[in-house]
Amino acid sequence: MPARDGHGGAGVNKTKMLVLHNLRKAKGQYISFGLIICLTALIMNIALVLAFQTFDAYDSRFLELHTADINVMIPQLQDDSEIIAGIEKIDGILIAERHNGIFVSATVREFADSDFDMNTVFYNIDEARSLNRIVLSEYLELDENTAYIPVFMKELGGFAQGGSITYSVGDADYTYEIGGLVSEMQYGNYGTGLIGGYLPTAAYEKLAEEQREHVVTEYSVRTDDNADLLQVKKDITKLLNEKGIAVLNINDRAAARQTRTMVCTLLIIIFLALAAIILAVSIFLSSFRIRSTIEDELAQMGVLKAVGYTNKMILRSAVLPYTLTGLVSTVLGAALSYAVLPDAAAILAIQSGFLYTPVFDIAALLMVVIAPVSVIFIFSYLSARKIQKLEPIDAIRGNAGKGNAGQSILLSALSIGIMVLLSFAGTFLYNVSVKPENFMDTLSEESPSVIFTVQADGMSELKEFLQGDSRVKLVLEYSTAAVSYADGSLTAFVCEDFGKVTNDICYEGRSPGDEKEIAVGNALADQYPLGSRIEITASDGSADYTVTGYIQSVNNGGRVCQLTREGYGRIGGNTGTVNVYLQDAAAERFITEYEAGHSELIAASVNYEKLSENGQKLYAGIVSAVAAVLFLISVLMVLLVLYVIIHSMISRRRQEFGIYKAVGYTSGQLTIMTVKRFMPVVALSALFSAIAGIWYLPAINQTIFSQIGAAKNHFEISVWILLVTAGIFTATAFLISVLLAAPIKKISVYSLLKD
Amino acid sequence: MEKQTIISARHLKKSFGTKENIQTIYSDLNLDIYKGDFTVIMGSSGAGKSTLMYSLSGMDQPDGGRIDFDGTDITKLNSDRLAVFRRRQCGFVFQQIYLIDKMSLMDNVITAGVLTSRNREDIKNRARQLFSLVNIPENTWKKTSSQISGGEAQRAGIVRAVINQPNVLFADEPTGALNSANGTAVLDVFSSLHGKGQSIVMVTHDKKSALRGSRILYIKDGKIFGECKLGKYEPDNAERTETFEKFIGEMGW
Repeated sequence: MPARDGHGGAGVNKTKMLVLHNLRKAKGQYISFGLIICLTALIMNIALVLAFQTFDAYDSRFLELHTADINVMIPQLQDDSEIIAGIEKIDGILIAERHNGIFVSATVREFADSDFDMNTVFYNIDEARSLNRIVLSEYLELDENTAYIPVFMKELGGFAQGGSITYSVGDADYTYEIGGLVSEMQYGNYGTGLIGGYLPTAAYEKLAEEQREHVVTEYSVRTDDNADLLQVKKDITKLLNEKGIAVLNINDRAAARQTRTMVCTLLIIIFLALAAIILAVSIFLSSFRIRSTIEDELAQMGVLKAVGYTNKMILRSAVLPYTLTGLVSTVLGAALSYAVLPDAAAILAIQSGFLYTPVFDIAALLMVVIAPVSVIFIFSYLSARKIQKLEPIDAIRGNAGKGNAGQSILLSALSIGIMVLLSFAGTFLYNVSVKPENFMDTLSEESPSVIFTVQADGMSELKEFLQGDSRVKLVLEYSTAAVSYADGSLTAFVCEDFGKVTNDICYEGRSPGDEKEIAVGNALADQYPLGSRIEITASDGSADYTVTGYIQSVNNGGRVCQLTREGYGRIGGNTGTVNVYLQDAAAERFITEYEAGHSELIAASVNYEKLSENGQKLYAGIVSAVAAVLFLISVLMVLLVLYVIIHSMISRRRQEFGIYKAVGYTSGQLTIMTVKRFMPVVALSALFSAIAGIWYLPAINQTIFSQIGAAKNHFEISVWILLVTAGIFTATAFLISVLLAAPIKKISVYSLLKD
Repeated sequence: MEKQTIISARHLKKSFGTKENIQTIYSDLNLDIYKGDFTVIMGSSGAGKSTLMYSLSGMDQPDGGRIDFDGTDITKLNSDRLAVFRRRQCGFVFQQIYLIDKMSLMDNVITAGVLTSRNREDIKNRARQLFSLVNIPENTWKKTSSQISGGEAQRAGIVRAVINQPNVLFADEPTGALNSANGTAVLDVFSSLHGKGQSIVMVTHDKKSALRGSRILYIKDGKIFGECKLGKYEPDNAERTETFEKFIGEMGW
């Protein structure tokens, strides 16, 4: 009597043996595939955990320290007791608190092994305060020589507790022993252009005594949740202006949060993009492997069908090993990422200036596991579904047709995918490390050498002097102002002639050409089509403008606009600053000379060259390191993927090699034959990808940077770098193939044929 | 006593090729296979012997006609039901053997066995008995196909084919890739199985193999051109051999 299949439906159990066999048989392939997926999951989990926790950690620390929503600094000499009452009356303000400070332009000695100019505000840590609480890491001996520094100074500047720090203010040097670190959420990094310094009473009073003219009053306010921060800022500024009080600095919660988390946002986007590219490459890789396996094992699949395995069982046995490998690898990758995450958070702390410890995140884990595993499952299924159509007799007789063309297409797609990864990483590294100005131009607006704040009615006269100076390349009236539109506040860039700007930030349409035109930021692009009208309001009125273009900016979340000097004048504004672009002269000396020679015209000066250099140090250092890591990951990917492909191609042709060896081919000829099988496809794909990179890389960069508001990317796409990348890729493929083909020499003809 | 028909094929049609270049293998073929017979299908190269065998076993679909296998018209079954049909009713032995590479002989057999039995120990016990029957020593069971001789591999293939106790064991040129000694050993296994009542359908163009059959069918011009009943195999029966020789001579062999 024939045996009965009395256990229908237990297909999974029946397939288990085949799945395990498949896993055992090609364990090297699955391990390398697993490594790639593990890497994907690791990068993806780092990105997601940082995305989910950094901003929350920032916000919760912000609340924990009762950080003010807006801080405004005025000279203490101009302070009076009525100001706080006036501020408290402004709409949207809940609490206002007054603090003392010393606001100086200091040079921090030995900051990251160089002298670093930093606007620094020193606070007395013993001053009672309910807002902007200062939390010290450790409270050491307090004397006039002790200072506490922000986390940022330790992370980026290289200062450590117990060491010393020297601030040079004018001709005086102030050296303090570092008592510890301070967690603070407003001036805790230099992204806002101002850094905090924290002194015990004795040290604070000593410094205040010696820098009496720099003693300031800081008003810190908490607003209600619905208040428009920019509007409140504007109202505070207006109040102080009306009293004739100079605003030395004004900063708000949103701007601080954005600048302190900008690199983090950028890295998260890059990591996610990288993970997506690696995942795409892995998918192609698994498709390639499955198709190869189907072709290699056609007869065996026919036999399985003959002995009674259903299509679904065989399909499952092909798809499950990849899906299981994906599942194990993603969980492993996510788990491993927790070993790296504290370091990743510490790297971000270099720029953000606040440190937190990432914790296990179930949402991130679910996304890291479910998304790649689903994609792997779907693509494996799509690649393997051909099995269902195989007639057992055709499979056994090998009539199912071998898709060499399909394999070449897959190999080509894989090569292109890896090249995209390499080209992206290479271009990123080049533009951050070799040409950092491209990176900075992408993230900033104008980069003059010097900015002068001009005394009332002194603009024409100062410009005349500047234009007559041979060291000056360009003089441009250029200001930043706060205005508002129907849905809130905008940061306006006001310029006498946008045709002369050195960093054209207009990414679509054009900058305004007359007083009735405006270009708006990317955040307003959907709401205001080109040619539409927008009403802009400033302190002295409102006016309608026609939208002529869209501009990029990482400032104020892209809620920015460009107005001509005359256009700004329609709502009562005027430009009070002038940008000076020098030929080759040193900005510092230039400022000293002009401040001495034209003090009646100049109210304040900014050495923008130095500021920009500091900014480059701040961002480019971190991003360079990340770009280098990206490049290394890409190279690792190349090695793994090529190993899988070439190993697979060589394995499946072993018998063929045996035949060639039997008829007298040498091992060297066989190696060349192997290489020739796929090198043309790899080389052509690499070349194609390199050339196509001229078009697709700007799009990728654009997409990534537009996420942080930089809709116009200034990255240089060097054809030579792309071609060199293609050359490296092709040469690597060649070397790996030669290395992998080497064992053919040692295998006897008989064993090759027998396999 | 009348023999029980296990496979009944009627008006079978099968052709290959394109519309412009069609090659008809058979156009109206009728055939019965009886339970307990060792049926051998012979014919010249390209006559359609294997095509017919694979149609009868549900491995390939005929273009027309009907095949009743143990009362079920298998031409009406979809691919999943055909798979279930094959695992319950058929065993296959191939010329190229087709053991699953890098899998031990025992696992090759279990891979087929798990399809009809959940008890792995039962399968292993049955496999051990069958390995002994086909003279494969225990120290070979854990070896893979690349570590053993062709004859051993083919005998392991037979064990895999009969592990589920099929109604019919189908064999396609089972000695085609073997040397004489290994071929004889494999044929002895077939004879032994037939002696125990196993129905066998074997395709061959090898006279020595064909002589093992109890019934010889000769295909020519897309039809069963001739039939010869030899009865059970007896190695030293000269009369039986003479009958066979005369038959294939008449068929134009």
